[in-house]
Amino acid sequence: MTPKRRHWLALLLPFLLFAAACGGSDDDDSAAAGSEGESAATSDTKAAFVMVAPIGDAGWNFMHNEGRLGAEASTGIETAFVDSIPEGGAEFDNAVQNFIDQGFNVIITTSFGYMDATEKFAAENPDVVFEHVSGFKMNDTNFGNSFGRMYQPRYIAGMAAGAATESGRIGYVAAFPIPEVIRGINAFALGVAETNPDAVVEVAWTSTWFDPGVEGNAAQALIDAGADVLTMHQDSTATGQAITDAGGTFIGYHSDMSEQVESYLTAPVWDWSARYADIMQAAADGSFTPEAWWGGMADGVVDIAIPADSPVAAEMQAVKDEIIAGEFDVFDRGEIVDQDGNVIISDGVIQTELLNPFDDSVVVAAEGDGLNDGVLLNMNFFVSNVEGSVSG
Amino acid sequence: MLAVELVDIWKRFPGVVANAGATLGVRSGSVHAVLGENGAGKSTLMNVLAGVYQPDEGSVVLNGEPQRFASPADAIACGVGMVHQEFRLIPTFTVTENVVLGAAPTRLDRGSLRAQVGELAERFGLLTDPGRPVWQLSMGERQRVEILKALWRDASVLILDEPTAVLTPGEAVELGRVTRAMADDGRSVIFISHKLDEVTAFCDEATVMRGGATVAASLPVGELDASRLAELMVGQATAVSQRRQRAAQVDGEQSPALVVRDLRVRDVHGRAVVDDVSLDVRPGEIVGIAGVAGNGQRPLADAIAGLSPAEHGQVVVADADLSTASPAARSAAGLSYVPEDRLGVGLAPRLDAVENAVMRSYRRFARRRIVDRAASRAHTEGLIDRYRVKVARMDAPLAGLSGGNLQRLLVGRELDEKPTVVVAAQPTRGLDVQGVAAIQQILLDQSAAGVAVLLISEDLDELLALSDRLLVMHGGAVVASFDPDDADRTAIGAAMAGAVSTEGVS
Amino acid sequence: MGLRLARRESPVRGGQVLAFAVGLLAALVVGAALLAMSGHAPIEVYRSMFDAALGSPRGWSATLTRAVPLGLAGLAVAIAGSMGLWNIGAEGQIIAGAIGGAWVARLAPDLAGPALIPLMLLAAVAGGAALALGPAIARARLGVNEIITTLMLNEVAIRIVRYLVNGPWKDPDGNNFPVAPVLPEQSGLPTLFERSNIGVVIAAVVVIGVGWYAARSTWGYELRIAGSSERAAEYVGISLKAKLFSVLVVSGAIAGLAGGIELTGSSTRLVEGVANGYGFAGIIVAALALMRPSGVAAVAIAFGAVQIGGESIQTQGVPSAISNLLQALILFGALAAAVWVNYRVVRTGRSVEGGAGSAAAAGAGA
Repeated sequence: MTPKRRHWLALLLPFLLFAAACGGSDDDDSAAAGSEGESAATSDTKAAFVMVAPIGDAGWNFMHNEGRLGAEASTGIETAFVDSIPEGGAEFDNAVQNFIDQGFNVIITTSFGYMDATEKFAAENPDVVFEHVSGFKMNDTNFGNSFGRMYQPRYIAGMAAGAATESGRIGYVAAFPIPEVIRGINAFALGVAETNPDAVVEVAWTSTWFDPGVEGNAAQALIDAGADVLTMHQDSTATGQAITDAGGTFIGYHSDMSEQVESYLTAPVWDWSARYADIMQAAADGSFTPEAWWGGMADGVVDIAIPADSPVAAEMQAVKDEIIAGEFDVFDRGEIVDQDGNVIISDGVIQTELLNPFDDSVVVAAEGDGLNDGVLLNMNFFVSNVEGSVSG
Repeated sequence: MLAVELVDIWKRFPGVVANAGATLGVRSGSVHAVLGENGAGKSTLMNVLAGVYQPDEGSVVLNGEPQRFASPADAIACGVGMVHQEFRLIPTFTVTENVVLGAAPTRLDRGSLRAQVGELAERFGLLTDPGRPVWQLSMGERQRVEILKALWRDASVLILDEPTAVLTPGEAVELGRVTRAMADDGRSVIFISHKLDEVTAFCDEATVMRGGATVAASLPVGELDASRLAELMVGQATAVSQRRQRAAQVDGEQSPALVVRDLRVRDVHGRAVVDDVSLDVRPGEIVGIAGVAGNGQRPLADAIAGLSPAEHGQVVVADADLSTASPAARSAAGLSYVPEDRLGVGLAPRLDAVENAVMRSYRRFARRRIVDRAASRAHTEGLIDRYRVKVARMDAPLAGLSGGNLQRLLVGRELDEKPTVVVAAQPTRGLDVQGVAAIQQILLDQSAAGVAVLLISEDLDELLALSDRLLVMHGGAVVASFDPDDADRTAIGAAMAGAVSTEGVS
Repeated sequence: MGLRLARRESPVRGGQVLAFAVGLLAALVVGAALLAMSGHAPIEVYRSMFDAALGSPRGWSATLTRAVPLGLAGLAVAIAGSMGLWNIGAEGQIIAGAIGGAWVARLAPDLAGPALIPLMLLAAVAGGAALALGPAIARARLGVNEIITTLMLNEVAIRIVRYLVNGPWKDPDGNNFPVAPVLPEQSGLPTLFERSNIGVVIAAVVVIGVGWYAARSTWGYELRIAGSSERAAEYVGISLKAKLFSVLVVSGAIAGLAGGIELTGSSTRLVEGVANGYGFAGIIVAALALMRPSGVAAVAIAFGAVQIGGESIQTQGVPSAISNLLQALILFGALAAAVWVNYRVVRTGRSVEGGAGSAAAAGAGA
């Protein structure tokens, strides 16, 4: 049996060396812990971000990382992040637990699939502030959620697209037929209608958030059908590459893509830095109150740059100012008609009963109700100048 | 001047001398046979000529010029091409693609390449469609592609390593025509074989090898008969003192322990490789089967053991009809088999000594399907002790053992099951002198204890020394039977060569 | 002259241990250089890797929890591998297992935990076995290569779970995201310690138990004979077809159990990414265990520790790319060691017929 035991010892050897090497620096560790205790209240606060995919250079995760860096700069609060953490598994748990063990007391999770696990952690760690982005769960003490009214800049992007198209066909590469995406498409199409009443918006579903190949193919199909302006609700710039190659115009999403895409005109973009700074500062001040926060252009979480060379630049700027001033509501403007010609909303009043898109037995809004966020959050119809199906 | 001269070639491998001063001289424009039993050193010598091996001593001379080949590519560059037993073709490529692979002109024009390959094929009567993918071809056609490959590289010396082993008789005749066409074209064809009838039919000259050396060089085939060649291959009679001392005369009245009746086995090509063989082995008797390799001995043994299905015929062991029984059932009925492939069939190379030693008996050492390690280890130690197997470590993979030790373990394991019949195929092949003696003694001990032994061997001396009766197989059939005590080697050789000597048959 | 690998006649004696030590150390040294170049203190990083994985009960809980799917997938691959078969489909079988478990939870959401959990795990086992059934039948009856069939069924399993979470099983309360509904609360595996659940115990029993059974039973022995040589197996009367069939189904069942434990232990609901690459990682685990089921448990824990340690340093500012590279380096070091123990490098050129084969052939003639 002796040889066998020797095997085990030698297998352990690297680990022992490991441990020995690590043991030597234990002093640093306690020193670090000591210094933490002495510092002021603000420096006690550390914020950690968990992201689903590599931060990359343009998409959803990139903009959250930009927001993190911005918030860190403005508040002076230390931040850290992990990326490529799958949804719904033990890796998320380990990452969050690691952060908590290291003294992070603000945890911001930026993918929908983290929602249940974030809720669970919030219950287990009442002293830690949790904020989940793009979901709907919260509690009364330490767990809130945030999202942005991306449909507002989408409308303005639609105005630019309507003015830019020559063929009268605008393509929209979209991931999944969920209310968030549908809302964006409708807002965009309403913006198109304002500058170009005859143009249509054709939707191509990809069933993926990030797959450059699939996105590129969908874009090409739209181009083949006659589109000369493309936009998208995706995480890669493949749509931009396709329309550039076809000599058309690209309207991006998430971030300024002028560096990556030659035919870039403008894009509705995210800017999470102010929101994150607020959460982090509130946590540091002990004033954090959970809310279901849905910020718009007035809050700065969403924005769009007005392209100076657009023939409708002045109109776009005017709408932008009105939205920020709270004088313009994308879905409260006269009659909103669906693809079948039904009037859904008229001057902010619901004209046709609206059902929950996932459960027909739930009425979201009855005839005569006013327009509210519930209607927007459950939107499951396309406006009349959209070609495509809300069922994917 | 000779096209090929191999002078005093020595080639040693660890523990083995494969070529011990072998020589060969081949005239250009001739078909030259290299004859010898398995292990006579033919393949090694040909691999030296083809640049696969570098000789330890001796020289390779082509057309009067000494050559030193570092690789097969060197040899091909000097016009030596070899068609190996295992084809080296890419199944999904077409004939043309395979032929020109690695030797194509820089500008590829598929159409004209195909035409060129087709012309080359036609010139030598190598019937094949240059556009067909190789996987669709028969073995004979694939061989033609291999030959075309060599011709495409303009080989002036073509080595065919046991080319007829994979061919049907008709294809073999066709190959004979092709070799003649190549010789008539001024090329030299070296034809390795141990099938004497082919040698006499196709070849101009023959060189016979035995034990790594050349025993007869460049014999004119036309002036010899097959039996003389067979005699040269199997060697001279050895001293009578080595003959077995038969303990007792086998009782002719006793009913046979092994009865084989009308056994026929077909190979994948549909050839009857065992052709209605009938034989009996009585308890205490050793029946030897002689024959040139490839005449059905191996499929016969496999069929008796149940490893390959017989088309028809009976196998009866101790009055139990096992014709359709599984190998395990035959083993349980008292039939032990020492297969020709020690590692791979008889033994599992990656398992350790204990696991190999209990392969027949592990069910006995298991309780509720859990193998009793102590018991199986004790059993193994017993085997190792009784059969003098040298094992450094019981828990090391078996592949590291020497041939002799492997065979002792295998034979020991099989005989330890107290069989009534033992079928032993080439049990001493590749063993050193002590190993041979040990295995032979074990077989003799078994027969003395009343076990019926069917001994298949290519070593005629061994058969003559051990057997009570000697059967000769040729072309899948038992063609002759001899009494070893007064057998005439010439007659045995003739029977092995397929010339049935009527007076020998009993 | 090129180089190629030839299997050693017997593994380097005792070399195994030395090889792993050297392989791991080399990986750590290269990794240290990499970390230093990217501005991280290697010793610090290694220390925190070690601490995160094995330095505390919490670390052990994370490591053991990770070792569960790795170990079960590794066992699934190694069991098939001990017969010389390659189950590349553990990833899909994990998904199939999770689907099976989730299905039971849909059918009987109100069942009490002690009844529901075993039923879900049984369904997971059945799901994994069911996905392996096709390749098993195809291999045993028709001789179809199981590598291809199991590999392709991974894609099928992903498509099925994608269809389910996008279609019939989509959560009505999920904002239309492609996720299945939250599982009933009582379906969660009870906690063992820290963040680990009794899935660790279940997996330990299965991995160690099956490992022991494979090493000691006639069943495992027959697998090894067949894996060493099919002809030898026929020769001693082992039914190859039955073995091929049973081993692939058992392999799938074990992987399916991994899916069931992931579902009831670590997930709150069935999602597309439930297998998370564990099925493919299982191939590495099995290779590191030299395809011996009895070696899987230790390898799975070590592998889990490397993963947990690697992931943990991300939370200290090491980018995921570098942490992944570091994990890969350590695995590579260990794999290289495993290869070295079993293979040697030979020069080709004396090539195709050189080396052991021809020496043996020539030996046979002497």
